[in-house]
Amino acid sequence: MNERDRAEEHLRVIRTLMERATIYRAISAPTALAGGVIAITLAAFIWVREHHWAENAPEVMRHISTRGFASLWLGALAIVIALNTFFVWRKAHHDGRPFVSPSLKLALRSILPCLVLPAATTVWFFYDGFEFDNELLLVRVWIGFYGLALIATQHFAPRSLVFLGGAFLMTAAAMMVASRQLEYYATPLVPNLAMGVTFGFYHLIYAGCVWKSAVQADSE
Amino acid sequence: MPDFDKLDKAIHEKGRLSIMTLLATRLAWSFQDLKAELNMSDGNLITHLRTLHKLGLVAVTKEIRDRPQTSYALTAKGRSAFAEYLRVLEQIVKAGRK
Repeated sequence: MNERDRAEEHLRVIRTLMERATIYRAISAPTALAGGVIAITLAAFIWVREHHWAENAPEVMRHISTRGFASLWLGALAIVIALNTFFVWRKAHHDGRPFVSPSLKLALRSILPCLVLPAATTVWFFYDGFEFDNELLLVRVWIGFYGLALIATQHFAPRSLVFLGGAFLMTAAAMMVASRQLEYYATPLVPNLAMGVTFGFYHLIYAGCVWKSAVQADSE
Repeated sequence: MPDFDKLDKAIHEKGRLSIMTLLATRLAWSFQDLKAELNMSDGNLITHLRTLHKLGLVAVTKEIRDRPQTSYALTAKGRSAFAEYLRVLEQIVKAGRK
């Protein structure tokens, strides 16, 4: 190996290590794809079910209870978290690195504080909030703080993930501004649509945009 | 023509180069985190860190929180040595392409 080859090899080591230490994709492209598909499927399921029963039993205002709506989405979240954990573990296993890496710890330290308020709002919702059909508020909090959690990883996440966070945050802000107009429409259709669009379509668009580069990075 | 002798021999070794690179990405790294990231044995890692510390490129901080923890960071000298090393490395690659 001549000096130039050695220099190139060393530059490659530096680049790989720097990227590994400074860039961490908290949500992998496969997770975004799976999450997007699950969210769209669930949104479609809720919509079809409401629509079906609205035709067959129009005297009933709503057919999926408020807590049922939140439980279904929390179930979807649990599946996506399990999938993401599996993908992160598989990548770590493939690279011969520990699952709980310094990057993972850094990501969790950045993300978790942003999820405290949504978690508290969810607890409140199951105890009290459900009585007043507060899904719209719950959904706005979920979408907005999820966006903030993604933006909180900006010091080590690729720019695409920060853009995704921005899209969530802006959607939640727009929903807050248009509260009066949105509340006019039947519950739970608007919250359900918002969840389907953000957690479904936004994730699918993100997965489509980063698939090639993320898979390339994963295979290096 | 770049001068190969300008390459810092202490850094121009894959293990030490990896350590210097990681230390350049953050303010400080714990021994355990370095070990996990680099997949090195304790002995190997500690030998390289001692070498870099003796040369004044790396600072060591020992703290006792719930358990003793040693963390490492680049000194000002280490940071400029690493930047200079990168500059020379770049010159070598560029010269080879001409």
